[in-house]
Amino acid sequence: MKDLIKIRDLTVRFHTYEGVVYAIDDLDMDIRQGETLGIVGETGSGKTMTALAILRLVPYPGKIESGSIVLLGRDHQSGLELLKLKEDRMRSIRGNKISMVFQEPGAALNPVYTIGDQISEVFLLHRRQELGRLAKQRVDNLLSNGSGPAAAIRRPFWRWQNRLYSKIAERPNPLEPRILTHIPLFRRLLWRLRNEAELLTVNMLKDVEIPDPARVAGRYPHELSGGMKQRAVIAMALACSPELLIADEPTTSLDVTIQAQMLELFRRIKVDKGASVLFITHNLGVASEVCDRVGVMYAGRLCEIASVEEMFLHPLHPYTKALLEAVPMPGRPLQTIPGVLADALNPPPGCRFHPRCPSAMPTCQQERPKPKEVSKDHIVACYLY
Amino acid sequence: MSDWKLTARQLVRNPLSLLGIIIITLYIAIAVFAPLIAPTPEGHQDPYMIPRESYGATPQPPSQEHKLGTTEGQYDIFYGVIWGARSAFRVALVVIVITLVIGILLGSLAGYFGGTIDEVIMRITDIFLAFPWLILAMAIVSAIGPSLKSVMIALCAVWWPSYARLIRGDILQVREEDYVEAARGLGASSRRVIMRHVLPNAIYPALIMASLDIGAVVLSAAALSFLGLGASEGYADWGQMTQFARNWMIGPAGDPFKYWYAVLTPGIFILFFVLGWNLLGDAFRDVFDPRLARR
Amino acid sequence: MLFGVTLFIFSITAFFSPVQRAALYVRDVKQLADLEQIIQHFGLDRPIVMQYGTWLGQVLTGNLGYSKIAGMPVWNAIWHFLPATMEIVIFAVPLIILIGVFLGSKAAANKDKPVDHATRLMAIAGWSLPSFWLGLLLIMVFYGYFGGFLPPGRLSLQMDIVVNSAAFIRYTHINTIDAILNLNGSVLLDALRHLILPVITISVINVAFIMRLMRSSMLESLGKGYILTARAKGLPERTVVNKHARRNALIPVLTVSGYLFAGLASGAVITETIFYYKGIGFWAWQSAVNLDISAILGFAMFTAVLFVLVNLVVDVLYTRVDPRVRLGGTVQ
Repeated sequence: MKDLIKIRDLTVRFHTYEGVVYAIDDLDMDIRQGETLGIVGETGSGKTMTALAILRLVPYPGKIESGSIVLLGRDHQSGLELLKLKEDRMRSIRGNKISMVFQEPGAALNPVYTIGDQISEVFLLHRRQELGRLAKQRVDNLLSNGSGPAAAIRRPFWRWQNRLYSKIAERPNPLEPRILTHIPLFRRLLWRLRNEAELLTVNMLKDVEIPDPARVAGRYPHELSGGMKQRAVIAMALACSPELLIADEPTTSLDVTIQAQMLELFRRIKVDKGASVLFITHNLGVASEVCDRVGVMYAGRLCEIASVEEMFLHPLHPYTKALLEAVPMPGRPLQTIPGVLADALNPPPGCRFHPRCPSAMPTCQQERPKPKEVSKDHIVACYLY
Repeated sequence: MSDWKLTARQLVRNPLSLLGIIIITLYIAIAVFAPLIAPTPEGHQDPYMIPRESYGATPQPPSQEHKLGTTEGQYDIFYGVIWGARSAFRVALVVIVITLVIGILLGSLAGYFGGTIDEVIMRITDIFLAFPWLILAMAIVSAIGPSLKSVMIALCAVWWPSYARLIRGDILQVREEDYVEAARGLGASSRRVIMRHVLPNAIYPALIMASLDIGAVVLSAAALSFLGLGASEGYADWGQMTQFARNWMIGPAGDPFKYWYAVLTPGIFILFFVLGWNLLGDAFRDVFDPRLARR
Repeated sequence: MLFGVTLFIFSITAFFSPVQRAALYVRDVKQLADLEQIIQHFGLDRPIVMQYGTWLGQVLTGNLGYSKIAGMPVWNAIWHFLPATMEIVIFAVPLIILIGVFLGSKAAANKDKPVDHATRLMAIAGWSLPSFWLGLLLIMVFYGYFGGFLPPGRLSLQMDIVVNSAAFIRYTHINTIDAILNLNGSVLLDALRHLILPVITISVINVAFIMRLMRSSMLESLGKGYILTARAKGLPERTVVNKHARRNALIPVLTVSGYLFAGLASGAVITETIFYYKGIGFWAWQSAVNLDISAILGFAMFTAVLFVLVNLVVDVLYTRVDPRVRLGGTVQ
């Protein structure tokens, strides 16, 4: 499988009052085309930061200090260095080629705008040309089919609209319409774009299995249940058929039954849209259901990454093993991982996990273990191997 | 880092609050050292009455004798504004302390015991709050007779409801905390619970508000004095001095700013005093606003 | 609650002995002899509760008593003085809100940068100004120096005559509006000239409130999840701030604006006194200083009612602006 995203030597640091925190420490990771890669880890392991780093949305006081994130794919055969892009080019990637779904759907949606509005926004932003084309087609229809006196009067008007929309179809933001948008009343003249966007939105909502999509589009976020909201957010993310969909704990805040439906949806997305999915979760069970490959992170570093079967059948890294052991099972006492999470301000030297590791060796405190490919497509960063 | 240190650090970092702290310190110094900065002349009875050498009506410009000039009636402006700082602090402290005490008393009764006591006290508070405060204060001062003391009384009457409300709200919150229930469970009497557990924790926001209201109190006192309802003539009070200056705000044609010193000086002193406290207050609000997450 | 207010207001009068209160009704020395009669006539020596009853009854029928200061019944006095205050408020409130919102957004968008500090300093300084002093200064500068923006009062002498003449129809008693309706340019200009200074005085002082509120509201809004989503969608920062954050941030500002309006409408007492602007605040001041009890009570009633009305309006507007407050269940 070909790579879609190549992350190399990524370091993200937070400069706080109390000191410097390494949220991500020299991370190497690949996301392949068409695969669903899961990232598993506890809170603070850096999984969300990785996602934000890809989109360059790391919040202040954090900063992407070094490394490279390269996007390959349909349009970028030679690779596009995301960290070096100018902001407006990066913006054309966000929501378009790479999009993100967050954990709390309720918080992710703006309460004062309708669902339809918020999804249409994406279309209007990234798919203006296509919308222009569709609008033009509609006007063409009116021009050829319209008859009678009413049509005759509106003809020249339609012809003008035609010109307008074909201009948009050629270039996303041509001069004439742009001037128009700044005159408040005339902005409405571009209403056809809105209409087309709304139609696409309703289609999108249907895709994510929301019943009665037309009505739902007119609703406000607080009128929807958690599961519906999350579907709407997914619809928003998938609107422009991104190459990579990042999902940050999308099922954590939902009921278990809804969770199951949601995972089914993700599986379908993989099949239908062919997008890669970066699925972040702290729940191993969920990861096993949906992902092709899984990576385990601890304290800003990647411990182990392998295919799902490999990971669960032959876990290599002590942390992975401990995580699997810690899953509650009836009939035996609950296993925990001794010790506490690595302190973000003063992390343990060398391998971050060594204070809690049953197989710790003297070398573990001295230097950080380098990732090694132990068996086919199974990489571990541990001195045991 | 401990909470207080972090707070202090944030306050000092912010240039606005730093400015506020500097200003306030200056004023405190002026008030404390007033007798040294502007000594009361020999034989002068009440240090709070501005000394006057003669009785001419026209204000005189700054000179060697009178560093900031004199206002109508030949009262020394310099002396007036310096001692004015003292009286400002006096008024503010008295009003704030009394209103705090009343507010805490009523607020904690209402908040802790709830039920009818709460209802009754809250209704009274609401009624007071609904009344336009300035009018009420003016009416009270008028009824008692204008003087600085009546201003203090009037302001106390007008100010206490907001504290009572605030304290009540905080107590309602703290009341539900676990340690309160624990104390009760251990058999502590209501009074003990209130005094030792609830009050110390609920008081902080009120204390903050109180310290910041100092500016507002002084402003209102000045307003009342200006309207003729406050300190008597010749008293070292900024508001009163501004009122004096009112007749002289526009000089003769050709030199309209002739008496600028009489008008400008007391006002500037008020302005900076209130500004200092407001800056600090705004910074406090920023720091303690739970909605703005701290980094 | 209004009931409580009336109770309280009335109880103030109870503090004064019947003689004192009768004194209010005395208009010349001759009547002094008839004090006893007056007391009986107005029932001032009857039990307090009964008095309250009669008073309440009178209030409800619109009879608020007589204002000695105004020389007319309280009810009339209110309507007589209200337009003047309204005029100031109509100009001041939109100004305050616009400037406050603008400054607040700018400050929030540039948190902790010089723009933020400068704006906040300006606004807080504005609020720290003693309003009376600011008024004096403005008069000093503008009248003394430029000789232009004339106080006292609402209109200069000639215009006053015009306005009161038969040719000029007073629809609302608000001079600017009436001037427009009468198509009389010079009156309009004159009224505006007189309005500028009071409006500036009030605006400078109150902008700080709105600005501070808008700033903290914006900051809260910008910290919300949907802002991150908006950025993740690729929206330009300007749209994120203007479209998404601001809409939400304005909601609390709306409530406060209502109270601002009510607060100003019930009389910017100090400002009106300085500029000799005969509005409600002016009347209230006179009444308070001269202990014109019925006027004070009437004014207090007016304020209370105004607040209740404003509350209602704000509540209604709130439902229009915030979709969460409207009726709605969840769709499964």
